[in-house]
Amino acid sequence: MDRGQNHIHGQSAANLCYQFGSDNPLLGMGIQQPFVPFTSPFGASSSTNIPHMDWNPATMLDNLTFIEDKIRQVKDVIRTMVDNGGQLPCRQGDLTQQQQVVNADLTCLIVQLISTAGSLLPSLKNSSFLSHPPAGHMDTVNHVGSSSSFIPNVTTISEENKEDMCSPEDYEELFKGFTDGAMEGGIEIDNVFVEEQDAKDGDEGGDASMDGENLPPGSYELLQLEKDEILAPHTHFCSICGKGFKRDANLRMHMRGHGDEYKSPAALAKPPRDASAEHELVKRYSCPFVGCKRNKLHKNFQPLKTILCVKNHYKRSHCEKSYTCSRCHTKKFSVMADLKTHEKHCGRDKWLCSCGTSFSRKDKLFAHVALFQGHTPALPADEPKNSSDQISRVGSHQEPAKFPSSMSSSFMWGTSSSDDRGLDIKGLAGCSEDILSTGNFGSFNFSFGPADGFTGEPSGSTFSVLPPEHFQSAQKKGKN
Amino acid sequence: MSREGQKLDYAAAGGNGAGGVGIGVLSLDLLGQVLDRLREPRDRKACRLVSRAFERAEATHRRALRVLRREPLPRLLRAFPSLERLDLSACASLDDASLSAAIAAAGAGGLAGLRRVCLARASGVGWRGLEALVAACPRLEAVDLSHCVGAGDREVAALAAAAGLRELRLDKCLAVTDMGLAKVVVGCPRLEKLSVKWCREISDIGIDLLAKKCPELRSLNISYLKVGNGSLRSISTLEKLEELAMVGCSCIDDEGLELLSKGSDSLQSVDVSRCDHVTYQGLASLIDGRKFLQKLHVADCLHEIGQRFVSKLATLKETLTALKLDGLEVSDSLLQAIGEGCNKLVEIGLSKCSGVTDEGISSLVARCTDLRTIDLTCCNLITNNALDSIADNCKMLECLRLESCSLINEKGLERIANCSPNLKEIDLTDCGVNDAALQHLAKCSELRTLKLGLCSSISDKGIAFISSNCGKLVELDLYRCNSITDDGLAALVNGCKKIKLLNLCYCNKITDSGLGHLGSLEELTNLELRCLVRITGIGISSIATGCKSLIELDLKRCYSVDDAGLGALARNAFNLRQLTISYCQVTGLGLCHLLSSLRCLQDIKMVHLSWVSIEGFEIALRAACGRLKKLKMLNGLKTVLSPELLQMLHACGCRIRWVDKPLVYKDC
Repeated sequence: MDRGQNHIHGQSAANLCYQFGSDNPLLGMGIQQPFVPFTSPFGASSSTNIPHMDWNPATMLDNLTFIEDKIRQVKDVIRTMVDNGGQLPCRQGDLTQQQQVVNADLTCLIVQLISTAGSLLPSLKNSSFLSHPPAGHMDTVNHVGSSSSFIPNVTTISEENKEDMCSPEDYEELFKGFTDGAMEGGIEIDNVFVEEQDAKDGDEGGDASMDGENLPPGSYELLQLEKDEILAPHTHFCSICGKGFKRDANLRMHMRGHGDEYKSPAALAKPPRDASAEHELVKRYSCPFVGCKRNKLHKNFQPLKTILCVKNHYKRSHCEKSYTCSRCHTKKFSVMADLKTHEKHCGRDKWLCSCGTSFSRKDKLFAHVALFQGHTPALPADEPKNSSDQISRVGSHQEPAKFPSSMSSSFMWGTSSSDDRGLDIKGLAGCSEDILSTGNFGSFNFSFGPADGFTGEPSGSTFSVLPPEHFQSAQKKGKN
Repeated sequence: MSREGQKLDYAAAGGNGAGGVGIGVLSLDLLGQVLDRLREPRDRKACRLVSRAFERAEATHRRALRVLRREPLPRLLRAFPSLERLDLSACASLDDASLSAAIAAAGAGGLAGLRRVCLARASGVGWRGLEALVAACPRLEAVDLSHCVGAGDREVAALAAAAGLRELRLDKCLAVTDMGLAKVVVGCPRLEKLSVKWCREISDIGIDLLAKKCPELRSLNISYLKVGNGSLRSISTLEKLEELAMVGCSCIDDEGLELLSKGSDSLQSVDVSRCDHVTYQGLASLIDGRKFLQKLHVADCLHEIGQRFVSKLATLKETLTALKLDGLEVSDSLLQAIGEGCNKLVEIGLSKCSGVTDEGISSLVARCTDLRTIDLTCCNLITNNALDSIADNCKMLECLRLESCSLINEKGLERIANCSPNLKEIDLTDCGVNDAALQHLAKCSELRTLKLGLCSSISDKGIAFISSNCGKLVELDLYRCNSITDDGLAALVNGCKKIKLLNLCYCNKITDSGLGHLGSLEELTNLELRCLVRITGIGISSIATGCKSLIELDLKRCYSVDDAGLGALARNAFNLRQLTISYCQVTGLGLCHLLSSLRCLQDIKMVHLSWVSIEGFEIALRAACGRLKKLKMLNGLKTVLSPELLQMLHACGCRIRWVDKPLVYKDC
C-alpha cells in the first residue's frame, strides 16, 4: 500500500509501468494497473468461493474484524521491513520472504474487502458512488472494493499468469483484457481467486454455482447480467473527462486528445488477442427476466452464448420496440441494428404478391402463394415498386436518448457480480512470457507467486484513484 | 385424291348441275357426317370447292383449322364458328395485332368453342395477343406455346387467365421463370399436362409450387431444367402423375429418384435420359416403389448396370412395356435377364449399346415376343442370325432400326420381310444392303418409312422393287445412294404416290428429267436435293408446279439452279416454309422475287450467294422482313447490311445465325 514499497519491488522493468500507471495523472492507464495483480492471482490456485450476494450483518462483522486483524498484521510486517531496510539492505532472502508475506496478506485483504463491500453495494446510492472524487485517496478503499466487485468468487484458474505487466504493450493488452472482460458483463463472478493461506477461505467458501442448476461439472460457466447493465448504452468511459464510448477503439482515439502519451503507437494499438482463452471454461449467460426461456430458472433453460446475445435477446424480447421504420412506418424494432437491417431492404422487396404483400425472397413469396388460395405472384410491371424516394429518409432515424450514463452504471455494479473475463488471463498469458524472457522480474515474480503482481504495483493508490466511471465504461463496452 | 373423294366430287358436281337434286337435298348434319369420314384434307377441299352445300356443311361442322397465312385468318375464323382446334404454328408473320384483329373479327362467341390452340414457333405473338385469345376463348383447354423463344412471364401470365386450361406446352420459352410458372399454376389449377422443357429459369421453388397447386397433373416434362432433388420431392406428392420426363437434369441424382419412389403408384412412365448423376442404384430404388411402371427411358445416363437393377426390373414383369437403354454397355446375360424379367416388352432401345451380340438378341427376343419396336442402331456386332431370331419370335414387329449394322445382308432381311408383315419402318442406313435386299423388303406392303442412306449399291432396280409393292411409303431416304438415276425416280413415283419426305442428297446422277418425274408427287412436303449438281431451274420449275404441298426444300450446292428456278418457286410453291439456297447461282433479283412472293417462308439459309449484291440482300430481306423467323447468312454481311434492317428483323422475332464458312465448291 505504500508507494515507496512498490517502487522497491518494482525495479527497473516496472518503471515503465509506473510511468504510465501510478505516477501518471491520467488515470485511464493507471487504473488498469491494479488489476494486474488481481488477475494474475487467478492463475494461482485456491478455490474459495465467497458468497457476496447475501447481506448478512454477522458475516459482515466477521469480515470486517478479519480485515482489521489482517491490516494490523501487514502493518507489523511492513514496519519491521522499514526498520530493517536501512540496516540490512543486503539481506535479500529475508526481504523476499517478508515481501511474500506482505504480498499474500494484501491479496487476501483486498479480496476480503471486495467481497465485503460487494455485498454492501446494493444499498449504495449511485450518486454517492459517482460523486466520489476520482483522484486517488487511500480512504476510497471501499470504492475499490465495490468497484472491483466484479472479481469475487473463485474457482479454478491455471497457474500460468502470475507475471506482472511491465511494458506498454503488455499494458495495452492488459487494458484490453480488462475492458473486454468487464464489458462482457462481468458481473456474476464465479471465478475469483483467493490465496491459500487466507484463513477465511473456508468461511467464505460458498456455492460456486449460484444459479442453483445442476450443471455437469465443467460444462459451462453461467453468468447473469442485470437489466441495467444490459441496457447501458456505453461500456467505455474516458477516465479524464468521463465521456462514454461504445467501443474501446473509439475511446483510444478519444484519449489522444488528452495528451501526447496517448498518441504513441502502443497506446493506440489494438490490444492483441491472447491464446490462453482456451483454458477457460465456456461461458454461457442467463437472461435476468424471470420466466423467460433464457432465464436460468426456466425449466427448459437454454443459455445465451455471448454478452451480445444477452443484450439483443433482452431488448428484443423484454423491451419495448421503440424504433420504427421510417419508410414503411409499420415495422418496429427494439434493436437499432435490426431496424437498420430492415431499412436496407424495406421497400425494396421485389417479390410481390397479388395481395400487395411484398417479400424480400422468392421462396418466401412462393410459400405465401402456396398457402393462400387465389394469391398469385405479381409480375414486376404489374405493380409499381415502392417509390425510391423513401430511401432518402433512411438514416434520419436517430437512436433514442441515451441513458444518463452516470446513474445506472454504479448501481448495476452493486447488484451484480462481475465476470472475471476482463481480468483474465487472456490478456496476460502472452505478455507474461515476454516478461519472463526479459528476466527483469525473474526472482521477484517467481518467489512471490501469484500475488506478486499485486504487490509490485502501487496498489493502494491506484485503486483509490479508480473513478467509478471507468468500470462503467469497461462494462458498457459489451453493449457495442 | 382418294376414291371416296372422287365419288363425292362427282355427286356434288352432278347435284349442282341438276339444280338442287343430289347432294344439295341432304341436310347439313348429314353432309357434316360425310365430311367427317373424309380422311384427306385435299378431298374435303375438293368437296368444298365443288359444292355450296358442302361448303355450308363444312362451315358449320368444321372442328379443326390450320392456318398458313395471316391475311385470311379473320375471314376463316368468321367462316368456321364451331372450331375446336386452331393451329397457328405455321401461320407466317402472325403477330399480336393481326391475332387480336382476327379474334375481334370473329366476334363475340365466334371462338367460344375453341379448345385447343397451337402457337408453336409463333414468335411474333406476345402477351397482348394471348390475352385477347384467352379472353375470347372461355373453353380453352390446351395451348402449345413451345419454341416461342421470346415468350416470358408476361405471355405465360396472359395464359393463366384461362382457368380451364388442362394442357400447356412451354418448351423452350426461354424467358419463362418461376414467376410465370407460378402465375399459370395458380390460374390454371386443373392443369393435367405440362411441359416446361428447356425453360432454364425455372427452379425448384417453381416446381414445388406447381406440385402444390396442380394436384390433377398427369404428365410433366421438366427436361433440361436446372432443378434438383427438391423438385422430385415435390413431384412425388402428385397423386395422379403418370408421365414424368426429366431428360438432361444433371442436378438430379439417386437421392431424388428415391424420393420419387415414395410417391403414389400412379407413375407409369419415367424418362431419365442424360441425367448424368443417376445410377442403377437410384433406378433400382425407383422401380422398387413403382410396381406399375410401363415405360422406362434411361438412355445415355447409365455407365453400368448392377444385379440389383436387373432383379428390380424383373419385378416389373407384368407392366413394363418400353425400355430404352441407349449408350449402355450391355452383356448377353443382361439381355437374357431382361428377356426373362420383362417379357411384356413392346419396345426396346439398344441404340449405341456396345456388346450387343447375336446371342444376346436371341435370348432377349426368345421371351419378348410382343416386341414391336427394336432399336439396334450402331449395334455393329449383330449379323443375320440376330435378324433370324427377331423374325422368328417377333411376329408383331413394326419398327426395326439397324443403322450401321454392316454385317447384315439380304438373307437376314429376307427372313424379316417374310415373317413380319406389319413392318412399317426400317432403317438400313449405312448397312451396305443391295437391290436383292430391297426385293425382299418389297414384300412388306405396310412399309411407311424406309431409310437407305449411304447404301451406294442400291440402283434403280431396287427402287423399282420397292415401288412395285410399297404404295404406302411416306418417307424414303436415299442419301448418297449415288447409283440412282432419273429412271429410278420414274419408277418410284409410279408406285409410291404418298411419299411426303424424300431425301436425294448427293445422288448426283439425277437430272432435271428426274425432277420432272417427282413433280407428280402431289403430297411431297420435304425434299432434299443437296449437291445435285446437274439440276437446273427447269427441274426446280417442274417440282414447284407439281409438288403443291412442298414445305421444305434443300437446294444447297445445286450450283446450276438459277433465278429461273427461284422464280418458279416464287410463283408456285406457296406453302414453302423452309428453303436452303446456299451456293445457288441466284442474283439479287431472283432473291428479291423469291422473298417477296413466298408468303409462308419463315426460314431461309443463304450462305455464299456470290451473285447477290449487298443491295440485293438488303432489298430482299426488307421485302420478307415480317415473315422470317430464322435466317442464316455469311458473317461478312453483318456489318454491311443496314442496322435498321437488322433491328427490324430482330423486332419481328427473327433470329439470324451468322456463319463464317469458307467458300468451297465440291462435287460429291
